Amino acid sequence: MNSELIHVVDALPGLIWTALPDGCIDFLNERWREYTGLSGAEAYGQGWQASIHPDDLRELLDSWQSIRKSGQPGEMQARLRRSDGEYRWFAFSARPVVNDAGGIVKWCGITTDIEDRKHKDDSARLAERRFASIVDGLPTMITLRTPEGNLEFANRRYLDYFGSTFDELKVWGQSFHPKERADVLSTWRRSIATGQPWDIEARRRRADGIYRWFHTRGFPLREPDGRISLWYNLHEDIDERKQAEALVAGEKRVLEMVTDGHAMPAILEALCLVVEDMASDCYCSVVLVDSNGTRLEHGAAPSLPATFINAIVGRALNVDSGPCAMAAYLNQQIIASDIRSEDRWTASEWCPMALAHGIEACWSTPITSAAGNVMGAFAIYYARPRTPTSQDQAFIDQFTHIASIAIERERFQVSLKRALEELRMSEGNLRTIIDAIPGFVWSATPDGNVDFLNQRWCEYTGASMTNACGSGWQDAIHPDDADGLPAYWRSLLESGVAGEFEARLRRFDGSFRWFLIRTVPLRDEGGNIVKWYGQNTDIQDRKQAEALLEGEKRLLEMVAGDCSLTAILEALCKLVEATSANCRCSILLTSARDTYLRYKTELGVRLTHAASAGVPTSLMVGMDGHAVGIESYPCAMAATLNEQVIIADIEAETRWETWRPVALANGLRAAWTTPIASRNGKVLGTFLILYGEPKTPTPADRYLIEQFTHLASIAIERAQDAGALSRSQAFLLEAQRLSSTGSFSWRVGTDEITWSEQVYRIFGLDPEMPVTNEVIASRHHPEDLPVFQEMVERGRSGSDFEFDHRLLMPDGTVKYLHTVAHGTRDKNGQLEYIGAIQDVTERRLSEEALGAVRKELARVSRITSLGALTASIAHEVNQPLSGIITNASTCLRMLAADPPNVDGARETARRTIRDGNRASDVITRLRALFTKKTVSTEPVDLNEATCEVIALSRRELQNNRIVLRLELSDDLPRATGDRVQLQQVILNLLLNASDAMSSVNDRPRRLVVKTERDKDDYLVLSVRDVGVGFGSLDFDKLFEAFYTTKESGMGIGLSVSRSIIEHHQGRLWAASNDGPGAIFSFSIPQRIEDATETHRPINIRKSAVQEAQHATGNT
Amino acid sequence: MAIPSLVSVVDDDESVRESLPDLLREFGFSALAFASAEEFLASNFVAQTRCLVLDLAMPGMSGQDLQRELMQRRQEIPIIFITAHGDPSVRPQLLDQGAVECLFKPFSETALLVALGCALRVN
Repeated sequence: MNSELIHVVDALPGLIWTALPDGCIDFLNERWREYTGLSGAEAYGQGWQASIHPDDLRELLDSWQSIRKSGQPGEMQARLRRSDGEYRWFAFSARPVVNDAGGIVKWCGITTDIEDRKHKDDSARLAERRFASIVDGLPTMITLRTPEGNLEFANRRYLDYFGSTFDELKVWGQSFHPKERADVLSTWRRSIATGQPWDIEARRRRADGIYRWFHTRGFPLREPDGRISLWYNLHEDIDERKQAEALVAGEKRVLEMVTDGHAMPAILEALCLVVEDMASDCYCSVVLVDSNGTRLEHGAAPSLPATFINAIVGRALNVDSGPCAMAAYLNQQIIASDIRSEDRWTASEWCPMALAHGIEACWSTPITSAAGNVMGAFAIYYARPRTPTSQDQAFIDQFTHIASIAIERERFQVSLKRALEELRMSEGNLRTIIDAIPGFVWSATPDGNVDFLNQRWCEYTGASMTNACGSGWQDAIHPDDADGLPAYWRSLLESGVAGEFEARLRRFDGSFRWFLIRTVPLRDEGGNIVKWYGQNTDIQDRKQAEALLEGEKRLLEMVAGDCSLTAILEALCKLVEATSANCRCSILLTSARDTYLRYKTELGVRLTHAASAGVPTSLMVGMDGHAVGIESYPCAMAATLNEQVIIADIEAETRWETWRPVALANGLRAAWTTPIASRNGKVLGTFLILYGEPKTPTPADRYLIEQFTHLASIAIERAQDAGALSRSQAFLLEAQRLSSTGSFSWRVGTDEITWSEQVYRIFGLDPEMPVTNEVIASRHHPEDLPVFQEMVERGRSGSDFEFDHRLLMPDGTVKYLHTVAHGTRDKNGQLEYIGAIQDVTERRLSEEALGAVRKELARVSRITSLGALTASIAHEVNQPLSGIITNASTCLRMLAADPPNVDGARETARRTIRDGNRASDVITRLRALFTKKTVSTEPVDLNEATCEVIALSRRELQNNRIVLRLELSDDLPRATGDRVQLQQVILNLLLNASDAMSSVNDRPRRLVVKTERDKDDYLVLSVRDVGVGFGSLDFDKLFEAFYTTKESGMGIGLSVSRSIIEHHQGRLWAASNDGPGAIFSFSIPQRIEDATETHRPINIRKSAVQEAQHATGNT
Repeated sequence: MAIPSLVSVVDDDESVRESLPDLLREFGFSALAFASAEEFLASNFVAQTRCLVLDLAMPGMSGQDLQRELMQRRQEIPIIFITAHGDPSVRPQLLDQGAVECLFKPFSETALLVALGCALRVN
């Protein structure tokens, strides 16, 4: 430079300098030298650096260097030391001087004092510095760019991050990832153009070459006039966040794939892609453990070559097959960070295989299920040796976790699908079950709102579930139950206790049925109620059956309780009408004495109305007991034919032309009438049910009809039986009264005596009085007490007895009683008599009167017969007497005649003698009436003859109350004689003895007839009585003819008897007893066997013997 | 006396038939004896009979039967009943019915004579 120029340069108000291209200062102007106090020689080259503040030197040099490098004008700043030592800020502005070739020959620069500015700047700069330091300190990267987009400032982090100098970074956009660069640029340009802030996410290359995600935002700094002076750019490393986002997004995508039901391979592939996207330069694969747990299966490996995959898949799960196999086998992460230097898996030659595919690092991590089972392995392969950083590890953990989720989820998905399928099916089953539950199922929330009602409920009520939920279901409850049920429901909700309630629910058709509503609460583990479950069961039939049963029971009680038949049948009709809806019922009874014949309709049947709760009276025509035919009304037909008549629809019926219109007019459309039958099949009446609509009986209806007719038959028959019983009781009572017969029972062991009413009346005792033998004895006639005693003794001995005895009543009247009793033993062997006592007083009195009359008659007849006898004697004798007298008279007259008729007289005398003889003959014959001249000789069995006589005279003896006793000897020989005559003698003796006791009343009239053999072998028969006896009378006088003490006696008895006996070579005598009475005996010799005797067959009449014995009470 | 009146004796008793007619003849009557009422009716002497001595009790037609028969025939023959039976109460009855007399055997001849006298006088 020439000196002029130098002067000019020296004069310039600035510090001017020039430098060589290498940076050495080769010129400093005067001012410079003056200011710095350095000479040119000191300052040239590098010396000038001594004037720079040490703190700024480094920067200045750096800036100087970079400016030089760039070849562009630039500016630097530093503190320059003044000659006085004070530092002042100066700006160094440098410009290159280029030659024609464009090469830089020199640098020139001007350094201006910017101290003030710097102070301003300094404060600004301080502020700036502070700002810069702050900004440098911020954990973000900040850059400032000019409105044109040139980098003006970059904070430390920024610089550090990108690892480049400021200048290097000036070139905008280089650091962006190729994929995002275009977007970024266009966004930036748009922002610059519009002045709008910009916001972008993009990857930028770090100093070490790794791309990381950045969120860059640009804000314009505007001048007061609105111009943009600067752009503030914030750069945030969001790589981790982005990674996390990507990870999350990836996870989400993968999981979505899982939930969307994508196939497992696709899921795993997506997973691998996500990983490969995230990390760079890696290959990812997932292998799965097969179902046996022994081999590897292919999971996914989207970026690996098939050959590699095939080499891995199928390998056995062991430590030798490879890293994945080993990882899966051991459930351990296997890191092969440098395969080349690996010595494992040599057996399977895995390493060579991997290396051949360009894989130099492998990290294999086992994928385990939540339970810890190894499902597979997740492998990342690298083309370069690599060891996982902690961040890598974190990623690996995440991805294996996702993979495990995916796989598990896949597996869950499959089983879930299966479970869902099963659930769907079981839900279907559940639905079917719920719908099949014979009842209604519902549930309610703890506050009582119903939230579910099953199909059946809705079908039944006809309400939809939506309407019925909440409390809408209450509309279906019967009004009568509607109050009780909600109250009960509320009490259950409060108490939390399971309960049940019976109520009527309305069916879709408006009818009501009874239901049993049961509900139980469902509690959670804490014991709180989470739900109420309920079930309704149709109990209509049960209720109906209960009501029916109740009604039947009441009816039977009425029947047993002697209610009137009408009341019972009315109640039955009411029960029917209550049981069956909408019906009327009536019962008709047939006439008791009605005999209708089948098919003879003209005979007709008589029906009377018994009960008809709701049947209109207009229909009751003809049911008043008149005979009606089967065409009158259906019940008549049923009663006549004894068959059920069912008219399902009266309108369609053609029979009963008169009855039908009346029925229809009353709104009746169906009639069922059933005959009510007695036990033996006789028709008692009819049972009719009428309906307002056409109806055919169901089996249930038929069953009910059967029940009701059975009940009715029970009631009717019982009423009839009761009537019959009371009638028969009345009959019995009346009969007893009429016949004066009472019945009694006597328990011998306890002497318990029961009397019928009539017996009390007979005895004249109060029916309330207890009856004892003492009471009975006290009533007896004193004379008959022995009889009573005998009766009691006889009873105690157990045999049947029959007695005649008398009572002496308090008023003195005597009653004659006849008692018959039959003894039985009950199951305990106790003896009990059932007997009848008949008051035979009247009969006895009349009998006695009769007897008296008969006696009188007998006496009279005896007299009469005596008269007759006398008459016949007289007649017999009178004839010859009359002849004698006549002849004698004639004789006298003849002799008195003149001449006397001697011949005539002679004749008359002859006749007279003849007649006299005749008369004599009569006498002889008369005698023969009493005694036979000839005694016939035949064998006579005296015992038998005696018994015959007794049998013949039984009645007589009984009438005289004779107590006969036979003592017939067993070894009595036979006699010879006239059987009849001997019997006459015996009879005579018996009658005499009977007569002798006719006045005996204080003792039994005992009569003992005895046969025996005496010491001379004579047969002796004796008759002993307890009668009046003979006192001091001479017995022989008794036998005098015609002697009699008896009023009516002829007195020939004993004398004739004696002569008969004497004719038999026997003897008849009498003696007095020791006690009262006498004993008459006769003896006759026994039979002497004689060949000349005429044999007559002995007439053995055993029955006669028995009769006689029975008659006298001897057994 | 003209032709002696016929008195018929009807009695089943032989001794009466033997003795009575003789007595009657002694009395001056003619007498015939018949053993039964039938025999008498069958005879030719019914109309001739002026008086009938009739036994009450006879086998077959009794005395009263004969009496009735004769009344029916309008044969008014006075009857004197004789009887061996001792019942006196029959006598009034017989007299009411138209008999002249009823004698009880054995009767005296006087009684008989009186009765005859009545019978024939009535006649």
